[in-house]
Amino acid sequence: MTTFVPMSALLVTVLASPAFAAQHRYEGDDPGPGLTAVETLGLFVGIPALVIAVVYVLVFVGTGSRGPRYRPGVAWRGAAQWWGGPVDAERAVQSAQPTHGGGGARAHW
Amino acid sequence: MPTGDVFTERQAQDVERAIAGAETDTGLHFSVYVGPLGTSTREKALTLHGALGDQAARSVLVAVDPGLRQTEIITGADAKRFLDDHAAALGALAMTTQLSAGDLAGGLVNGLRTLAEHARHPQTLHLDQP
Repeated sequence: MTTFVPMSALLVTVLASPAFAAQHRYEGDDPGPGLTAVETLGLFVGIPALVIAVVYVLVFVGTGSRGPRYRPGVAWRGAAQWWGGPVDAERAVQSAQPTHGGGGARAHW
Repeated sequence: MPTGDVFTERQAQDVERAIAGAETDTGLHFSVYVGPLGTSTREKALTLHGALGDQAARSVLVAVDPGLRQTEIITGADAKRFLDDHAAALGALAMTTQLSAGDLAGGLVNGLRTLAEHARHPQTLHLDQP
């Protein structure tokens, strides 16, 4: 990708160069001074590369700011979270006994 | 309230809202745990349920171990009268559907909603008359 884009821009410039040649002048036309090599590269390589870079940054900044997320089958590294748990969860769990007489369900995915 | 790196602020709010909604609908205490449950997941979940102390009897604990891909729903002795094992199984099923797609917060919210919807209000003589 990174080599293809400059190459294709260069190819277009080279192929189109005969059309730029001042072979057929018309009455009243004003071709101007022409572009230097640096200007040509800037126009046909620099600007497209800049556009690609901007899109790249926009895409990956959005992904990075979302942070780690859960993916099935990938090892879990997130910190444990407990909503509606005891105030001092760690100590409460250490001194807690499994409850009896209740019910519930379990599932594996 | 816990704000870890796994849930975005918005997802955490969604789960909190689902817990609050389920508590309002059923009158039970709902608790959601997301984290490791060890090798004996049921035993660990029962211990977590026991850690709720005085509230445990009328509490419903939804425990999810994303690493082991296991979910445990524990209902206390009193909570069981409102939310029988059949309703708990429905809640677990609703959760696993979304959990298997990688939507942790969505699975929790959906599971809590299903649990609240299927919680039964036991008839109490004289109190349920209009």
